[in-house]
Amino acid sequence: MPKERAKDGRLNRRAFITSASGLAVASAGSLSSPFISSARAQEPAKVGLVFAKQGTWTEQGEHLVNGAKVALEQVGSKVLGRPVEFVWLDEPNPQVAQQNMQKMVDEMKVSAVIGGTNSGTSLAMASVAKRSKMPFIAANAAARDITGKECNRYTFRTLATTPVACRAVAPHLASIGKNWYFLVASYVFGLDVYKSMKAELDAVGGKEVGFDETPLGTTDFSSFILKIRQAKPDVVVLAIQGNDLSNFLKQYKEFGLQDKIPVCNPVIGDSDLWSIGAETSFGIYGKPWHFSDPSNPPADKEFAAAYSKAHGRPASDKAWLGWQSMRMLIGAIQKEQSFEPEKIVAGLETLQVRDGEALTYYRDWDHQLLHRYLVLRVKKKITDKWDYLELLGQSPANPGDLDTLFGSKAEVGCTLGSL
Amino acid sequence: MIEVLISQVVNGLVLGFLYVLIAIGLTIIFGMLGIINFAHGAFFALGAYFAIMLSSYIGWAGFIVGPLIVGIIGMLTEVVLIRRLYGKEPLLSLIVTFGAALFIEAAIRLVWGAGGQPFSPPSILTGVVEFGPIVTTKYRVAVLVITAVILAAFWAFLRFTPYGRILRAGGRDPQMVSLLGINLPLVMTAAFGFGIALAAAAGALAAPLWSVKPNIAEAAVMPAFVTVTIGGLGSNLGAIVAGLLIGVTTALTIQFWPEASAAAMYILMTIVLLVRPRGLFGEQWERFE
Repeated sequence: MPKERAKDGRLNRRAFITSASGLAVASAGSLSSPFISSARAQEPAKVGLVFAKQGTWTEQGEHLVNGAKVALEQVGSKVLGRPVEFVWLDEPNPQVAQQNMQKMVDEMKVSAVIGGTNSGTSLAMASVAKRSKMPFIAANAAARDITGKECNRYTFRTLATTPVACRAVAPHLASIGKNWYFLVASYVFGLDVYKSMKAELDAVGGKEVGFDETPLGTTDFSSFILKIRQAKPDVVVLAIQGNDLSNFLKQYKEFGLQDKIPVCNPVIGDSDLWSIGAETSFGIYGKPWHFSDPSNPPADKEFAAAYSKAHGRPASDKAWLGWQSMRMLIGAIQKEQSFEPEKIVAGLETLQVRDGEALTYYRDWDHQLLHRYLVLRVKKKITDKWDYLELLGQSPANPGDLDTLFGSKAEVGCTLGSL
Repeated sequence: MIEVLISQVVNGLVLGFLYVLIAIGLTIIFGMLGIINFAHGAFFALGAYFAIMLSSYIGWAGFIVGPLIVGIIGMLTEVVLIRRLYGKEPLLSLIVTFGAALFIEAAIRLVWGAGGQPFSPPSILTGVVEFGPIVTTKYRVAVLVITAVILAAFWAFLRFTPYGRILRAGGRDPQMVSLLGINLPLVMTAAFGFGIALAAAAGALAAPLWSVKPNIAEAAVMPAFVTVTIGGLGSNLGAIVAGLLIGVTTALTIQFWPEASAAAMYILMTIVLLVRPRGLFGEQWERFE
């Protein structure tokens, strides 16, 4: 209405009347909405994605969203005959993650939310899920509390917990040596890994020869590396991620230790290694999924193919976590034939998909996804541009032990509550 | 124990030289132009990316050409943006350069993607140097030498050439220098470009050590500001002493209290500011009071 605006920028009478009548039409429209509700069947359903668009977790956020997108495309962006779209908001910190999720619930009217590149924002969003009764899948959070002490009926988690990852990698490290040096990030995740790995070390009668907490965002690790060099451990157990891990590996190699003292990070993402390149990559790592794992079931192989076709590079573990979360959500909606929150929760609690001889599903009493965990090692000679890792083993060795691996009710300590 | 201490102190000094190189450009720009350049870290990042990109075409010459190109980008930025901020409120320059930093980071993400750029030291500089208890790497020694050479050349330039005199005088009293018939705007553009080229050179040197991602700027900008604050705004000698001090303090904190190592430089800053509110070598400058 710029034409009707008075020159001094204030509204003149004509503009006022026009906008007032516009408002009247708009409110009449909302009053009459009960009569057009039949058209709602065609109105797209929405799935909310809350993943990082900026900061340390940007790349992980991008991979998670791209993976989730593939799952939607695989069903032609239609579930129960209704088009489904996604909205993607940022999560720069736990407070904003909460606000954005709340906005999705209140204003965007989403049917479910998938989100969380890290444990901090995921825990924050889990509380919104509980309060607003909104199904929420934490795709990439490892802290045990999400499906432990802080668990709730509306929150599900796709990534394996830190104790599971530690149980998987520990035997491989113990076979190298029993003097371990711990270098862990100074926050929930790092201390969680330390607690679990220390327990595994004590169980085999090993010795802790050093322990350092590194502040999040450390760029130069040379002084830490000097301490490791001095302590002469058999293995360095790491619990640092993203940028920090890339920095550490680069500098560890710079100090020529990569062939002398092996390093292991029980939880790692592909992009941490891709960002430093094949030349600088080394170590033993735990991951929930690997794109070239020959034992991947047909559905996972289809996803891997679709992803690399769309993005020109293999799917990372984060992409798989995004895909798996979205795929389980779609499956739950189809199973219960409904977009209602309670029905989606019921669907997620009962849906099972096949993974070779085992079944993958969210456990009904703690909402943790049960899926095998891989232990991998950087190959001695890397020939592929993307595939740096070879399989050392997987946990559990026997598919029947999956439930035991993820912990008993007493160990996990989750009480879900009612719908 | 004494051996451990020596080894950590030397390691801290070596790291400190990198901080000095990042901070010296910032201090030049503040001292001469009176601009608090929040985009310094972004130019540091740009330096790293240009060096990596160019070195795949022209080898290690990329480490000289890269910072020069970024310096030219810096000069263009001065002409288009920074020039309008001279003599204005400091807050304004903070906001504008902060905006520029976000813009550059987004541009980097757009061109090179959010992922990291793999990069290692050249094979001739790989390996460890051991000298008694002192352990460092050949590449870190090279960074130390290059930084020392750049600083010596810069000092000689300021001290012994007429251009250096103009720069020093222009920093103290721009009006007087203009009245003497010197084309000050041109001098300012050159000074800004030079400060930016130094940031870019630091970025290029850090590329083989640090993971090169669009947010590498964050890792550089805070130590740079703390260095300049501890050293005293606008003081080149202050930046050098402060950079080395931060390196050593951080290294020793890692030895004895690792979880506090990120906070160490801020604690150092607090102590210095309590004792000397203008920083170690800060003087009273009429135009900044």
